[in-house]
Amino acid sequence: MFESVPAAADSLAIGGDLGRRRVRPPRSEQALIRGILAGSEADLEVLFRRYWPRAYRMAFLIVHDHAAAEDIAQEAFLAAVRRLDRFDRRRRFDPWLGAIVANRAIDWVRARTARREAAGEPVGDTPSPPDQPIGRYSQEVLTALASLSAEHRAVIVLRYLLEYSPGEIARALDLPRGTVNSRLRRGLDTLESRLTELDPR
Amino acid sequence: MRHRASQELRDFRGPDEVAAEARAWTVVRAAYLEREPVRRPRSRRGVLLAPALAVAAAVLVLSPAGAKVGRIITHALGVAHAAHALYSLPSPGRILMSGPGGTWTAAADGSTRHLGSWPQASWSPHGLYVAVASADRLAAVDARGGVRWAIARPGVSDPRWYSPSGYRVAYLSAGTLRTIAGDGTDDRRLAARVAPVAPAWRPAGALGPFEVAYATDRNRVVVRDADSDAVLWSAAPGGRPRELIWSGDGRRLVVVTAHAVRTYAGHGGLVATIHVAASDAALAPDGRTLALVVNHRQVIVAGRQLFAGAGVRTVSWSPDGRWLLVDWPAANQWVFVRVAGAPHVTAVSRISQQFSARQAFPQLEGWCCTAGGPAG
Repeated sequence: MFESVPAAADSLAIGGDLGRRRVRPPRSEQALIRGILAGSEADLEVLFRRYWPRAYRMAFLIVHDHAAAEDIAQEAFLAAVRRLDRFDRRRRFDPWLGAIVANRAIDWVRARTARREAAGEPVGDTPSPPDQPIGRYSQEVLTALASLSAEHRAVIVLRYLLEYSPGEIARALDLPRGTVNSRLRRGLDTLESRLTELDPR
Repeated sequence: MRHRASQELRDFRGPDEVAAEARAWTVVRAAYLEREPVRRPRSRRGVLLAPALAVAAAVLVLSPAGAKVGRIITHALGVAHAAHALYSLPSPGRILMSGPGGTWTAAADGSTRHLGSWPQASWSPHGLYVAVASADRLAAVDARGGVRWAIARPGVSDPRWYSPSGYRVAYLSAGTLRTIAGDGTDDRRLAARVAPVAPAWRPAGALGPFEVAYATDRNRVVVRDADSDAVLWSAAPGGRPRELIWSGDGRRLVVVTAHAVRTYAGHGGLVATIHVAASDAALAPDGRTLALVVNHRQVIVAGRQLFAGAGVRTVSWSPDGRWLLVDWPAANQWVFVRVAGAPHVTAVSRISQQFSARQAFPQLEGWCCTAGGPAG
């Protein structure tokens, strides 16, 4: 029996717990994009469920503010869908969306840093403490990440959360590949030393 | 250690991820369903009215080139199939409203927050705070409604933050114009015999100069330096000013009166007069394109009627400048009109029931935010 909702088929297939049920294999990105452009809401949902969580996580790890991360991921996805007709389908959707998210998240951090809404601190633009993530993610890594600049955080997150290649990161952030490599190296060194300080296990 | 960091990144789950995904899907789906996959030829059934052409001239003065041009939508009275609740906004940002039901914000996902029983409110430039006013109190509250500072003054109304820095707030108090620093200190009277019209800060740098336009009780418009008290210029717009709006670059001041819209240069010279009965006006986030409510009936942008409905009251731009929110107390509706791209109108009904126990229709106070400041 085929799943009537493609999103469900997609998640089952990814989960691998298929039992005896026959499910559709996951549809390719190209097929989904074709479907979305032709008006298929179901294909849009599959694409959304497949990529939005990682977009949100990436935004959160860069901005450390869950409300802002939600806005950034949502707006990035909307922007990507609006521009889908201009998307080169020979490329992967994920890095394209990731590039939008990363750049918006970096912009957001820069804007927050530059923003001073009021004279003096009582009503100043003091960011709230970083939100606490859930799951297996440790506070040490979050704290260590926070010690990096937004630009370094973005590179680290793209590399190790989304598993982009340095070349893909360079294209996404419009950086020379050497700069990506040096930021990766420096970012990981900083992470390592911060983690050692925080939890010398 | 590197392995641990990278492994943890792979295993990471964001806070409130499931609920965040559900909210985002609601917005993405709504946006997708509202898209116009195939562009149809534009309807030109509407006939431009003489006032509309005049307004077009005004917009040309504000924006010599490149202003966004709206589309003509000849709309029947009333919006059918209006949603019965505010499920989401068609564009990112948050809407601020106030009235007898207090001050509320509505977020893009449709969630609403009551900030307190303040009957008037105004966004700070970046939407982090809201200046609120009651009969005898001015305060700054945060996004959760927590009071950051407050000051008691008689007859407080119409607080407005200086943009882009928020270093000053101007407000009215018992017929005087006062200013206070953004942290609630240094409150002082700037001018007396002031009319009940919201003051307007002239956009400039973060540290000023802090120049504010206001209306006197003799129907003059005055621009004054808030630090030196010096009057920079004044003008008689030929009627009681209803609204004062600076262009985004601070080079034009638009004065809306009951029977005309007058545009002044930054130094006070009259640039243009358009005889039109505008009841409300709002400048787009680009700082150049003006939306007008004419005769409490038509919404006109760049000389074109975007929407018509008996009793429409005010307009607010979305932060991205793509949508206009028209509040329509007579129909108890908010109407969202798409300005950029293909024409589209969507509406939400039962607004008064959603934001006031007394079922009073709230006043729109702006749709926030972009780096340049709140819209509307």
